[in-house]
This record gives sequence, structure tokens and C-alpha cells, in this order.
Amino acid sequence: MRPQRSTLIAVSALLAVTLTTAPSPANAQSAAEPNQVAALTVRQADGYATLAWQPVDGATDYQIERTAVDANGTPTGAPTIVGIWRPNRQINQGSPTFADSGFNPGDTFQWRVRARAGTTEQPYSAPVVAATTVPWGNPGTPGEQLRTQWETTHAAQYTSDTDEYAYTAAIDALSDRVRVVELGRTVQNRPVNMLVIGHPTPPATPAAVAATAPVAINCNVHGNEPGDREACLIMARQLAFSTDPRITDLLSHTTVLIVPTINGDGRAANTRGNSTGQDLNRDYSLIRQPETAAYIKMVRDYRPVAGYDGHEYGNSRAGDLPMLPPRHQNVAQPIFDQSQDMIEGHMYAKGAEAGWWACPYGCEGGGNVGLSEETILRNTLGLKNVANSLLELRSSGGQTRPDEGNTANNRRRKTYSALWTFHQFLDYHRADRGQILTSRAEAIEIQAANTGRLVFRGSRPIPAHPAPHPGDSPPPLDAPRADLILDNAPCAYRLTDEQYNGARTDGPGGVGTTVAQRIAAHGWKVIKTGDGWYVPLNQPERGLIPLLLDTKGVEKLTDGERIYPTLTGRRNGPLVVSGFTCAADATINGPVTVRAGAALVATGTTISGPVSATRAAGIVLADSAVNGPVQITSTTDAVSIIDVTIAGPVSLSGNTTGTDAPLLAGSTIRGPLSCTANSPAPINLGVANTVHGPRTTQCAAL
Amino acid sequence: MPQTTRPRSRALRLLVPALLLATIACTGTPAGSTTDVQPPHNTSAPQVTGPLCAALPTGTEPGNPTFLAGQPVDQALRWIPTLTTFEAALRTSGVLADLPTGTGITILAPSDDAFAAKFSEDNWDDLMARHTDQLRTLLKAHLIAGAHPIDELVTAGATTTLDGATATVTRTGPTARLADRADAVCADYQATNARIHIINAVLGPLPTTANDTDHRAH
Repeated sequence: MRPQRSTLIAVSALLAVTLTTAPSPANAQSAAEPNQVAALTVRQADGYATLAWQPVDGATDYQIERTAVDANGTPTGAPTIVGIWRPNRQINQGSPTFADSGFNPGDTFQWRVRARAGTTEQPYSAPVVAATTVPWGNPGTPGEQLRTQWETTHAAQYTSDTDEYAYTAAIDALSDRVRVVELGRTVQNRPVNMLVIGHPTPPATPAAVAATAPVAINCNVHGNEPGDREACLIMARQLAFSTDPRITDLLSHTTVLIVPTINGDGRAANTRGNSTGQDLNRDYSLIRQPETAAYIKMVRDYRPVAGYDGHEYGNSRAGDLPMLPPRHQNVAQPIFDQSQDMIEGHMYAKGAEAGWWACPYGCEGGGNVGLSEETILRNTLGLKNVANSLLELRSSGGQTRPDEGNTANNRRRKTYSALWTFHQFLDYHRADRGQILTSRAEAIEIQAANTGRLVFRGSRPIPAHPAPHPGDSPPPLDAPRADLILDNAPCAYRLTDEQYNGARTDGPGGVGTTVAQRIAAHGWKVIKTGDGWYVPLNQPERGLIPLLLDTKGVEKLTDGERIYPTLTGRRNGPLVVSGFTCAADATINGPVTVRAGAALVATGTTISGPVSATRAAGIVLADSAVNGPVQITSTTDAVSIIDVTIAGPVSLSGNTTGTDAPLLAGSTIRGPLSCTANSPAPINLGVANTVHGPRTTQCAAL
Repeated sequence: MPQTTRPRSRALRLLVPALLLATIACTGTPAGSTTDVQPPHNTSAPQVTGPLCAALPTGTEPGNPTFLAGQPVDQALRWIPTLTTFEAALRTSGVLADLPTGTGITILAPSDDAFAAKFSEDNWDDLMARHTDQLRTLLKAHLIAGAHPIDELVTAGATTTLDGATATVTRTGPTARLADRADAVCADYQATNARIHIINAVLGPLPTTANDTDHRAH
């Protein structure tokens, strides 16, 4: 899947603020010297300047020189080599670009570029002179005038917790587009806030936000990696107040969810982990900590369809912006493909225009990184059918930015490269929204079908980019070990009451939430029948469930009992379901009646005859067909119908399933659909149904 | 021989950005006041020395040494961009706050690079989250009673840190060397009743756990 990107060029062109060539006498020089770089241009954007030039035959690399100048173009500082362009910085090497960054935004500079043949320096280009773009926002316009602590201190200080709260509260107060919500609290009781941003206003409820196919940016999970967080705070101001048609268009087509600081305690202490020492990016599946639990509940309620997760990276040989998709092999292929398209199809291409070096995680000397732990947000989100990417900001200047011994220069480059990435992320979502939603719908149906092997640890390969890719080595293969593969996936996991509701010790201070609470945070369907709690696998998060509940799970919650199908093959005559019945690849010729307190779970099954359930514990159907009417009434625990073709009327009524909404998604109903008096009302996860008859009351919009 | 950090002309060309800063500083809500960013033009302006000084705020930039000289020491530390690890540790451990008020203090402040070369991330998080007493002892190995210029420490030849250990102080070329291990890479920051000397290695007896080829995965 490689959609064409040409339509995006116009959007990115809007990002360019000025285009300046120097009025310098150098331009008047008549004949270029041999091997002199020609046609140097500079284009300004937020916090960086894109230099572009015509390549020189035989050049090994190029040096970018920057000199501070005054308003008259007279140098006020020493010329400094600030950049090295190398062929592996970008995929289209015939049009070299370099995003120079790190300078104080607003200052004026002269730039020159020269080629090197081996180590032999060739003549410098004619210079270009330009004022760089000042920090975004008119100082005289309310709202726009806000600045972060990081901005006002010229990057000498990071924005503190209290300054963040004051800044985001001020944005909330001054912009109709922004609502700040508190998702939860850290171990030390700091708020985990999220900015909900839409145009003209953000939808009022999480469910209403979910209907807009929102995007989520997690800015700072490791407290000692704060560069992305500063970018998020600046972007929040831009989104809140900009009158740029691009921004209002973006916000009119989605809702942007920004969590500046999930790990406020770690940020305050400048530690990687939270205040208990737990690395939160090893906890998104287990959700032992309140911070990760808050984020996962947000994903359940707001249902972002795309995400980015911001980090910094100590490998000095890496590119500017290492990125990586969700690689865990249980992630549905369309989500992996969509994420790869966002990274390689969009970010590599746009990076080559702007001069940023986006590359695969690791790039050079990456080592044993970028693997398949489902505890990592990148993988957790993929297993929740969210197209997403890791974003790294190389910690040091590295091989291509030699002027970052100065701390402020280094910090500004990192933050403004993150700002570029997050804006590109929004542009990608805007341009590819339809494809993202299609991928998500396909993924949900693939997962719910519960077919294929389960992998407990192991990654999809990331092949080297054919350009060649802008790194020198793709991430490690990380294939699954044989003992971490289960070819015969069960139908469900059964947990005892002790496993499900028992006290746990794996949280802060030796107190953990129950498995029941964590499953609820993930939003999985659970059915209680006489002898236990059943978690069916024919659900949208089928790839994640076994990782937490199977005995083979590497980082699991408990050892659930694998429950295999009880009904396969052909069965003729009426079927009365009592207890827990799982049908897989079955053909049932006859009416099906589910008794009170019983549960029917079915995949790959054809039922010829009506299906009726009254006061059942659960009805969970996927990838199946029913030739006849379906009537589900007064269910107590779970109702889910995904990718089911029903030739007949469907009635869902009086189902009272606690906080878990009945799910009707991706299905075709050849008849009327009636939903009445269900609490909560049915939802479709944004995966539309095809209904040939009238849809009434609670299902009118499904 | 101490070296100055920048050519004198740099102060002039930084004047314009500083004026811009003064106007925007009032609109944000930084934790530290930035309204006093103009240095007082007197002869007692602190002269920081050492090879790292040029990479830190100078002239009239926010966080410049003259501005810091008027700040309480805990605030001054927050302005020095290479001290994020040390400053957070001092703050969260409460070591500075526990000192008797009104007493002078000398801080041998290891840079972020020094901490990165000393402790693995896991080790450091473990110290920060679970071993407060060990952390406090480590930090006290970087504190000296009284506000001492670096030359004074060199002249004395040795000093006693608040963990009770004795550290030698010798002159090695242009910089002072502490405990035969750490160089003062930017010495003689002043703060209220305090001196801050940035050093390039962590002092104290804890073992080195960092492995600079082992980059933590995201």
C-alpha cells in the first residue's frame, strides 16, 4: 500500500513562511567556480531553516555554514559549520536539503554551503541571508502571546509542571477550540492532563470526540526525555489560536488529543521511570501504574485512530528522527501497513523536502532496539488497532550537527524537529483519513475473526527502504521464538473468581488494581457464567488478550485457562445453549436458543435459523452468518456482533451490560434493525454497518 | 590560568535579543523571574571559568552568570542547562532544603554528561525512587560548607564534603581537579551565599554502572 503523495505537496508548501535569497553582492559574481554549490536557497519555518541547493558532481558530502549577521547583513559572530549533509539523510539524494536548527528563533543569519570530495573542501556557494521565524504568535494578540517557560528562557529551562498547568489553563480559557481534561493522577498526585482540540469547538463528550476519528500525541513518557513535550506545548498554542486555513481545516476534520506529560513525577525528578521507578513505556498493557491506566482508559473512551509517542534517543549515530511502527506480530497487517505508510510513505518524503532526517529506529548502530514488547505504547496501540509510530529525537548533535555542544542549540533542534513531525502527523491524518479508517475497520474484523496463530513475542520485519533508505541498517529482525507461538488459538480464556477479582500486589506501594479493573480499562468483553469469567478472543483486541491472560504470556496478568470450541462442523436440529458454548467454523442448521445466564461465542459459523437470547450472560458473534432473525433481549454482560451477515431482522432490546456498550460493527443486516432500551446504547467503534431495512431509535446512527 | 569564556564583543551583540526577551518574559509565567535579566554594570560581576562555560548562557542571555548571582542557590541551579540530573536530585531528595538557613554552601555540580557516564538509567532511577539515603549521601559528597571560590579550594589543597569524605583539590593546567577524578569545567558561578562549580565526573564511592554502548530502547 503506497498511496501517491503528490496532493500533499501543496499542504506542505503552506508551511513555508518566507523564501529569501540574499541581496548580497556575491550573487552578482559572474562565473561559478568549479565544484561550487549553486542555487542555494533558504526557506524559513518554525524553529528551523531549510537550505536547498543543486548537487555537485562527485561530492561526498556537504558542509553547511551559518554566520550571525545584523540587519545590514554584517557579520556579528564567527562563521560556524552547523551541519553536514550526507547521502543517507534523505531518500531523494538528487535534491539535497538540510533543516538547520538550534539557533535562537528570530535571529538573522547568513548561510553558505560547500561540497567536499572526500575530505577536500570545494568552494563555498554564494551566501544567502535571512531572518529566521520568530516564536509563533503575535505578542499583542491574546492567546497567541502565551509562551512556555522553555521559550521565555531561550531553552535554558524546561517548562516546569506548574508552568505547564498555567499555560494550558490559559490556552483553555482563551480558546474555544481547546478543552483541558484531567485523565487521572500520577502516583504523587500530579494531574495527567489532555488537551482536546477541535474547530470551532471540540466535541463535548469522549464518545462524540471518538466519532471524529481523533489523533493522539503522547508527548513525554520518560521524564528525562523532555524535547517532544516542549513541541507539544508550542503546537497546542498554534492549534488553539492560529487563523491559518490549514490549521482550521485540520481541526474541522478531526480532534487532536495532546497529553503533554503522562509522567509528571518522572519529569519533575528528571528520571526515566515514574516515582516508583517503573518505566511507564513497559506498562501500557499491564497498566499496573495509575499513569498508564489513565492513558489506556483514554484510548478506550476517545478511540484515537492514529498516534505518535515522543522520546529522545541516546544513539549519537542515529538520524534526526528515528521512527518505528507497531511491529508485534499480533498487530493486524492493515495497521502495520498503515503505520509504515505514515513513516516511509509520508515522513521520509516530507523529511526530504524539509531537510529533516527521518529514518528507521536504530538507523546506524541501533542495536537491540525497537522490538515487540506489547508493554510499549507503540505496540499496545497497534494491538488496539491504532496506526501509530514511535518518534525519537537524537539526544546529541551526532555526526551531522557539529554545533550542539551548546545546550540551548541542542534543545531547540530537538524540540523544533518534533514540532515538524507532529504537524506532519496531522497533515498525514488529514490526507489519509479515509485510508486510515479503512485499515482500522479491516483490522477490527481480522482480529474479531480470531483466526491464525498467536505470537507472544516477535516482530514483523522492517525491510530496508529501497531508496536506499535513509539509515544504514534496518531494525533487528526479532522473529518470534518457536516456544512463543501458539498455532491453535483458543476461543476464550476462563478466569477463576480469585484470578478475576483477587487482590494484587503489582502496583505502587504493593497495591495493584484487580484483573477485572484492568480488563475494564482495556474495554474487553467479559462474560460471567456459572463456573468463571470468560474473555472471548473474537474481539477487536484479540491480539492483546492472550498476551495478558495466556500462560505463555511473557508479561502477563494471570494464567487463564484456554477454552477451545465446543461446537465445530455440521450440526442439524435445534440448539439450546446453556453454560458457555463456543462455536468455531461450524454449520448449525436449526434454531439457536441461548438460555438465561448462558453464553454463545461464535466465529466462522453459519447458523440457518433464528437466534434468540433472553437474559443470556453474553452473545459474542464475529465473522459469521445467520440466515434468520436475531433477537437479543436483556443480556447481562456482553453483546458483540462484528462482521456478521444476518438475513433477517435484528432486535437488541433491554440489554443492560453495565459500563460496556453492546457492539454492532462491520455487519450486514438484510432486514430492519431495532434497538430499544439498551443501557448503555449500542456502538459501532466507527466501523459502519450495512442495513437494508430501517434503523430505529438507539441504532439509528449505526 | 583562568580563561574568559567569550570575546567581550559578544555582550554587545546579545543586547538586542535580551531586550526582546525582556518584553516577552512578562507574558509567560516562568517559574523563575526573568525581569532582572539586565546585568548590573559593576566590577564584581562573576567571572566563570572553564571550557564548558562557552556552551552555557553567557552575556545577557537568560541564565547568565551575572543574573544567577542574585538568585537563591536552588533557583540558580535550575538555570544551568547542563545540571538537569543533579538539580532534580538535589530538589527531590530535599538535601539542599535540609541545610541550615543562612549558611554558605559550595556545590560541586556534576554535569548531565557526568551522570550519564556514571550511572545506567536503571541504576539512576533505582537510586532516585528507592534508595533515598544512598542518594542523599551521594549528593552530600558534592557539597562543601561555606561559599568557596575555586582558587580558595585549590589553595587549601583538600576539602571535606558533607558526606564526611576528604577530596583533594589540585590545579591541572587551566582547571581545578577534584578527588583526582573530576575537572571543574565551569567554575565560580555565584548565587546567594553560594558558589557553584560544574564538574565533569560524579564524586563519591558508588560504582560505575553506565555502559555507553547500551542505548536504552524507547
